[in-house]
Amino acid sequence: MKKISKFDNKEIIKVLEAGGLVVFPCETVYGVAVDSSNCMVVEKLNKYKQRPLGKPYAIMCSGQKMAEEYVSLNKTAFNLYKRFLPGPVTVVSKGKGKVPKGIESETGTLGVRIPDYPDLLKLIKEFGRPIVATSANASYQRRPYKISDILENISEKQKKLIDLMIDAGELPHNEPSTVIDTTLDDETVILRQGEIKLKGKNEVLSRSDENTQNTAKELWQKYQDFAGKRAIIFCLEGEMGVGKTVFVKGLARAMGIRQQITSPTYDLLSCFQSTVDGQQLAHIDTWRMIDPNSELDDLNIKKLITDRSIIAIEWADKAIEEIRKYLSDAIIIWVKIRYGKNLSDRLISWGNL
Amino acid sequence: MKILAIDTSCDETAVAITHNTKVVSNKIWSQAVLHASFGGVMPSLAQRQHQERIDYIVNRAMLNAKCQMLNIDAIAVTIGPGLGIALGVGINKAKELAIKYKLPLIPVNHVEGHLLSSFVNSKFPMLGLVLSGGTTMLCLVKNIGDYEILAETSDDALGEALDKAARLLGLGYPGGAILEKIARLGDPNKYKLPLPLRNDKIKNRFSYSGLKTALVRLFSTIKDPSKQDIYDLAASFQSTAFDHIIRVLEYHCSQKVTSLLFGGGVANNILLKSKLRKLLKKYNIKLHVPYTKKLNGDNAGMIGVTAYLKIKNQKLKLEDFYNYESVDRNPRLELGY
Repeated sequence: MKKISKFDNKEIIKVLEAGGLVVFPCETVYGVAVDSSNCMVVEKLNKYKQRPLGKPYAIMCSGQKMAEEYVSLNKTAFNLYKRFLPGPVTVVSKGKGKVPKGIESETGTLGVRIPDYPDLLKLIKEFGRPIVATSANASYQRRPYKISDILENISEKQKKLIDLMIDAGELPHNEPSTVIDTTLDDETVILRQGEIKLKGKNEVLSRSDENTQNTAKELWQKYQDFAGKRAIIFCLEGEMGVGKTVFVKGLARAMGIRQQITSPTYDLLSCFQSTVDGQQLAHIDTWRMIDPNSELDDLNIKKLITDRSIIAIEWADKAIEEIRKYLSDAIIIWVKIRYGKNLSDRLISWGNL
Repeated sequence: MKILAIDTSCDETAVAITHNTKVVSNKIWSQAVLHASFGGVMPSLAQRQHQERIDYIVNRAMLNAKCQMLNIDAIAVTIGPGLGIALGVGINKAKELAIKYKLPLIPVNHVEGHLLSSFVNSKFPMLGLVLSGGTTMLCLVKNIGDYEILAETSDDALGEALDKAARLLGLGYPGGAILEKIARLGDPNKYKLPLPLRNDKIKNRFSYSGLKTALVRLFSTIKDPSKQDIYDLAASFQSTAFDHIIRVLEYHCSQKVTSLLFGGGVANNILLKSKLRKLLKKYNIKLHVPYTKKLNGDNAGMIGVTAYLKIKNQKLKLEDFYNYESVDRNPRLELGY
């Protein structure tokens, strides 16, 4: 093991290219790095970190351009890169399979970090490709802010795996990087879908929550005659905070449901029974779902439809493919709510698919 | 009493072995295994497929506790509140085990589990606060099993509001934990957000949908937000959301209460805990939180401990828990039933 106190890029690159393991400082904690193009070094890194196979690593890039060779960025990821990188944030995106096995996760995602540490950025740029990096402590050991934090907590065997150490003294005690997974955001899916076109469009201006609830009541009265004969699906579309749950509160009240209607975001599905005629209201929210189309199916929406339930689906636009399958079995009312000019104004439009 | 406890109320498949109030092993299936190196935030890929995972988790919990079915005295299972189909998987597994090994089957309320995860032997009545992705509830704990709801959310849960704010600010999902980190770098007084239900005289409810809407509208007025803007928005939102809890809680603080039991995922938040401690100090009330973070989120350890506390404090007999048929899911189960 060799120790240097400055970033001597020539020397570091020589070690990396030979499959060596380098301990380096950055804006968070001391890290260890290996070459991202060498299949053999992942095993060495696993041995050093003493962790089982199958746990992914993040790669460090010199900038977004380099990152995009290895991962596909969606809109959320773009925004994160713009706002937070370089900085102590690891952004997880869909990998392009260009790194050796064992670096990407089993599901093909890959974390990218662009360190806010000029010497390190310069090194990666000169190296011309990303480095695979992780904190220099063995798994479950203390955060390494100085070289002795590392050396005092690893075995002789582990020490022998280190080929080069860059000692920059004690680092400021910053938190390790925050990891943000962007692969769950389906904004790209929605963007591709385009606007949902409605037949027989109606529109009203609501000036308050009360107004919105009354609109729901009027819509219920319009379709009430079908209740018990066919399933009725109220599909709600609109930005966060626009009042989709408020609409369902109005619908429930009109149906004669006395229970408090709260957001079903967490539980995904809540069912209520009307005290008047025993009608069932199923209140569904797809916001948190990863694959709303198949998860609606998992929630057994088919049975709700054969039972002729009343169904309200928030963020229905995310599950439109699944909903379209029920066009002939259920009455589908699509409700769009948009923000209006004044703070409490909402434009509510509805129609059939 | 050794209990094997199962909780499949929503996302997590969780199994634990508890011995009286001690959690011997507490296993939760999550993608955490895959993503631990990333520092705690994990995607929830295929998180709701309990059926495929339940046997594996039961075995892991037993192995981890170095225990065999022969040593188990009872099975405990979450029957609600939660997602019906998810609850069903846990209940079926619990019944199968109970029948096979002729063990009593104790139904448990998930929210009561969160509530009692920080239980200490102290004077009743106590206050109980459960804040998570699905629950926002303050109650008076008169005894174990005897609760009076003081305030519940009338729309969104606090954990849900924090996650939604994080996603709005471009921090991905679930983002409550990241929001907390980023809020530390921001100025909580930079933006004025409306304190929910400020005008409620009797503070018997919580509400987060108005605050969420206010953030959406505020955010849309900021053109090309900078890093610092995001920090400040996160700090302002979090601070207002917590002040709402503090205001409602303060209304219910009184001299006769000396303890507050606090549980649920949001109990991980350091800022909220310090705000709570500051308030409770004024009233000489002690804050109790679970001794480990793992008991804050959804887990089955709390279900086993709750089952034990109920049996012991209400002097129930294990013989009365062999009517397996009567154990059924109840997605809208209320506290105290």
